[in-house]
Amino acid sequence: MALLTVKNLSVGYHTRKGFLKSVQGVSFSLDQGKSLGLVGESGCGKTTIGMALMGLLPDNASVTDGMILFEDQDLLKMSKKEIRQVRWKKVAMIFQAAMNALNPVHRVSEQISEAILAHDADISEKAAMKQVESLFDLVGIPQDRMRDYPHHYSGGMKQRAIIAMALACHPSLIIADEPTTALDVIVQDQILSAIKDFQNKLKISVIFISHDIAVVADVCDNIGIMFAGQLVEYGRIEEVFDAPMHPYTKSLLASYLTLDKDVVQLNSYIGETFDLINSTTGCRFCERCSVAEATCSLVAPEWVEISPTHKALCYQCK
Amino acid sequence: MEIRKFVFKRLIEIIVIFFVILTVLFLLFRLAPGDPVTRMVDPTMTPEDAAHLIAQLGLDQPIWLQYIYYLKNFFTGNFGISFHYGVAVFSIILNRLPNTILLFSTSILLSAFVGIFFGKIASWHKGKKTDTWMTLGALFCHTLFLPWLALIMIWIFGFNIGWFPLNGMISPEIWLDSSSGFWLKFLDVAHHMVLPLATLFLIHFGSYLLLMRSSMLDTLKEDYILTARAKGLEEKVIRNRHAAPNAALPVVTSVGISLAFSLSGGALTETVFSWPGIGRELVFAVSNSDYPLALASFLLIATVVLISNLAVDVLYAYLDPRIKY
Ligand SMILES: Nc1ncnc2c1ncn2[C@@H]1O[C@H](COP(=O)(O)OP(=O)(O)O)[C@@H](O)[C@H]1O
Ligand code: SF4
Ligand SMILES: [Mg+2]
Repeated sequence: MALLTVKNLSVGYHTRKGFLKSVQGVSFSLDQGKSLGLVGESGCGKTTIGMALMGLLPDNASVTDGMILFEDQDLLKMSKKEIRQVRWKKVAMIFQAAMNALNPVHRVSEQISEAILAHDADISEKAAMKQVESLFDLVGIPQDRMRDYPHHYSGGMKQRAIIAMALACHPSLIIADEPTTALDVIVQDQILSAIKDFQNKLKISVIFISHDIAVVADVCDNIGIMFAGQLVEYGRIEEVFDAPMHPYTKSLLASYLTLDKDVVQLNSYIGETFDLINSTTGCRFCERCSVAEATCSLVAPEWVEISPTHKALCYQCK
Repeated sequence: MEIRKFVFKRLIEIIVIFFVILTVLFLLFRLAPGDPVTRMVDPTMTPEDAAHLIAQLGLDQPIWLQYIYYLKNFFTGNFGISFHYGVAVFSIILNRLPNTILLFSTSILLSAFVGIFFGKIASWHKGKKTDTWMTLGALFCHTLFLPWLALIMIWIFGFNIGWFPLNGMISPEIWLDSSSGFWLKFLDVAHHMVLPLATLFLIHFGSYLLLMRSSMLDTLKEDYILTARAKGLEEKVIRNRHAAPNAALPVVTSVGISLAFSLSGGALTETVFSWPGIGRELVFAVSNSDYPLALASFLLIATVVLISNLAVDVLYAYLDPRIKY
């Protein structure tokens, strides 16, 4: 049974220039214990989806359509209080900005035990601290560093501490939003293996957000490729890697296979930014597509099922 | 410990700066226009008596010798005799200082606490009515002209309604009566303090409110606030435990600076309310060329400013674990 089902989710931001449709009609589902990678270049709406799942969208955002069913309950229909109880207890998040995600004036251990205490009224402070100790063991931070303040930690340690924090309430889903982007390459690998580690041990579902397809390939069961606020291809990781269908996926994979990591990242930033305010009627990828046909720019393509688990949003796939 | 080393280093710096100030003050007073001798020396005196007095004051010596004497006196704790009062400057200062400290630390701390409290609330309701009214009120109070407000307060509450004394710090009849107990005297001072305290409070709390508000708004944009929210913490906890302590840091600095400068900056208030404090004494001493008194007051102010800067740094290090010296 699906733990999470996102149906036709559309989110936009009210901006001075107009209503910016940053996520449009995104649907996917995730089974318990499985992991999904969301890949796409910067600005394509990945963080917006993550924030919508946490109920943490900023004030100028509004969800215009869709639902987010988590354990069969629509998160979008929940009251503030209800969603607060879901946060961290059921869905936790590892944020993009690892460096400042911890409060500088509180000890790391206190910030983690705080999460435990907030969601379990019966637990004593002492017992919560005991749990923090075992979390530190789990993510590989020495226990004698527990009482340090965040600024005493390196970037990698901070991110480990955040992972420990994310695991603190035994959530069934963790959203990891570019968890390694701010770190240097060696530390990136360590953090990735820490994430894989808890995934295997604790059977927690993970939504792994990244602009780097190589990172996702390592960690996920399923992958969703995003372009300009839309999901354009979705499938099991081996299906998508072996037989990419969407031209955008193909170009991403081609650069991943032929070039080294750094160039892929750089490459994926190139290209015109899509106008999300005055969006066109046709295929959004049209202007960058090398195999576009005349109809592409006029009528939006529909989903094509390649297999029961693999689909793409393009005319070429028929 | 690092902080101890830092304090030690800073103390040495402070001592050096202090002696520079000491010397500059000495020179300023010697070079300033307005000869103290003509003030001290009665025109009806015979020239011999006048010369005798001048010699007694040491004013006939060469300037470098006067400087040596000046330093020697400083080290022996002898700040001289006030020209005007004819008593030791030291005892005058000792007598006035507590009055200034009482009035200004009370008003600054009170306005800081109230300002922090309401600034926090205003930031939380950003853009709503609560915020608008608080911000407007704070701006209004912040821009009031102190002497004007002081006179208005005196006129309304002292003169017209008559709830509070017009000026001064004590009622002599109570303090001269040996049967008055501690509480009676305490209430008497409190009664006198209401108007100056209220005036200072109104002038200052607005700036603390605005400072806290904008600092809170900055803090609320920080990533760790998002983390706190993601953790499912209650809004109240986020505000009080995660945002306010960080946001209050700049306010602490501002309080420290205000405390330091209240000794001199309070002259206006003290004068309007005839509050017997250091600031008023300083103005009096300068305008009457009471050099020993003026000099000692300046030195005291310099010391307080230097020391409170250090105190704020130390307090800051305690409040913000990131600070390392
Ligand atoms: N708070 C906001 N206000 C206005 N626009 C925003 C806001 N946050 C994001 N956006 C816009 O929404 C789009 C998607 O952003 P985001 O979800 O952060 O993308 P990603 O995480 O994939 O880089 C971008 O065009 C971005 O400029
Ligand atoms: S629909 Fe047309 S333009 Fe869009 S990706 Fe497919 S081929 Fe390219
Ligand atoms: Mg992002």
